[in-house]
Amino acid sequence: MKNWLTQHGQALKLVLRRFKTNKLNTLLICLAIGVTIALPSMLYTVLDSLSSLASNVKTESQISLFLASDNSESTTANIKAALEKNAAIKNFQFVSKQDALAKLQAADANNEVLSSLEDNPLPDAFFIEPNNLDADNIANLQNELRQLEGVEDVLVDGAWMKRLNYLVLLGKQAMLIIASLLALLLLAVIGNTIRMQILTQQAEIELSRLIGATKGFIRRPFLYAGALYGLLGGLFALLITFAVIYVFNRSIAPIAAEYESSFLLNFPNFSVSTIICIISLLIGLVSAYFAASKSIIKSAS
Amino acid sequence: MITFDNVTKRYPGSHEAISNVSFAIEQGEMVYVTGHSGAGKSTLLKLMAAIERPTSGTVLINNQNVSKLKEATLPYVRRKFGLVFQDHKLLYDRNCFHNVALPLAINGITGMEAGKRIRAALDKVGLLNKEKAMPITLSGGEQQRLAIARAVVSRPSILIADEPTGNLDKNYAEDILTLFSAFQQVGVTVIIATHDALGNANYQNKVLHLNQGRLVNIEATV
Repeated sequence: MKNWLTQHGQALKLVLRRFKTNKLNTLLICLAIGVTIALPSMLYTVLDSLSSLASNVKTESQISLFLASDNSESTTANIKAALEKNAAIKNFQFVSKQDALAKLQAADANNEVLSSLEDNPLPDAFFIEPNNLDADNIANLQNELRQLEGVEDVLVDGAWMKRLNYLVLLGKQAMLIIASLLALLLLAVIGNTIRMQILTQQAEIELSRLIGATKGFIRRPFLYAGALYGLLGGLFALLITFAVIYVFNRSIAPIAAEYESSFLLNFPNFSVSTIICIISLLIGLVSAYFAASKSIIKSAS
Repeated sequence: MITFDNVTKRYPGSHEAISNVSFAIEQGEMVYVTGHSGAGKSTLLKLMAAIERPTSGTVLINNQNVSKLKEATLPYVRRKFGLVFQDHKLLYDRNCFHNVALPLAINGITGMEAGKRIRAALDKVGLLNKEKAMPITLSGGEQQRLAIARAVVSRPSILIADEPTGNLDKNYAEDILTLFSAFQQVGVTVIIATHDALGNANYQNKVLHLNQGRLVNIEATV
């Protein structure tokens, strides 16, 4: 066990010494890995933020039913009864025009247009949450509700969110494909880097083989190098991602404010950051393993 | 200690480098392998050090049959040997100290213990004051001695040297041979390949004389 630890400590020390003597090279390689990993990471962040936006809104009502302004109370009661009977409706809520106006005033107290109004322009409304969120079902329900007497308009306000959800899903698939392709690219890049290093260490490798080094002993420093490249690259990727999101959020804040939204891109949380680093480390390790095994077998006498 | 029985080694695409060679080397012997260049001296040494496997016949090292050993156990057999290569194989990207440190690192010995052994080995060959020097700055004789320090640092029971006096003038060569006989004196088996018979007469030795891959005679000089 102690021997095992010494051997690994030895390999790690050797790799760190090599990194130190080739600072610029190491930095450039890690930066290249970082940029490559930052691309899917940023894509993930954008999709994650969009999907959290979409899922937040999904819990709000999907269908708004606006009543004609000249409805009598009995018509409203009829509509309410019809909604209660409808099996496709999960839940609904009545908001009278007075309530709506009060809410609007509360939300925007300084609005001079509202206070200058002589009478309430808002209609009574039902906000309906359907049982089934499927697009077809919602369209059917919308038609059905439109035919009720005293209904002025039926708006499906959640539809774009649904579409957004689908887009996010599509985006996630695209992200997976891009991420896999970039992972292949990284395998090639790190593998090549390790192969170059093996070439420069050829004399030492050959000598070590002759005087009794095992394959594991020879391979170990290169595995550490690959894993460290991956890890450092992953950290660079996080740094780049955080920086880009920070800058992006600063410029998106005023735009979002114009739309009265507080939409901001989420920073990758701890577990996502850890996963990015681990994946990056594993890619480095795997490509180093293949590069080293292949070259060492070739150089073995 | 090392036993060859009807050993033949043929490299692909060439004739037999070693044919039908049989001999035995005992613990603590000093053995010269002589012959013209191309006679198969280097191949013989490689077979002894488990670097090459025989095409036919058996090579026994400490009663282990090299042909029957698994690839993965060969490195551990090789660690029993201290090797001095014809072309030194010094690493020019590190100083003398770190050159000598490599065999110890392979054996998992590092730190203080390694430092002590490395300095002892450098001291034995008279290079203790060159510890921090780069090998490229050393003279030919010093490089040879550094290679010997590296070969003995892990205290092998068998020391194998291929043409250790090849490019050295006579005085240097004498020094090196004295060094080897000092190792033999403390019980190390020493095997030296050489194309000339320099210094043979000074010691009590066994000589394996090769000619075109065949063992011509085994003689003990007095």
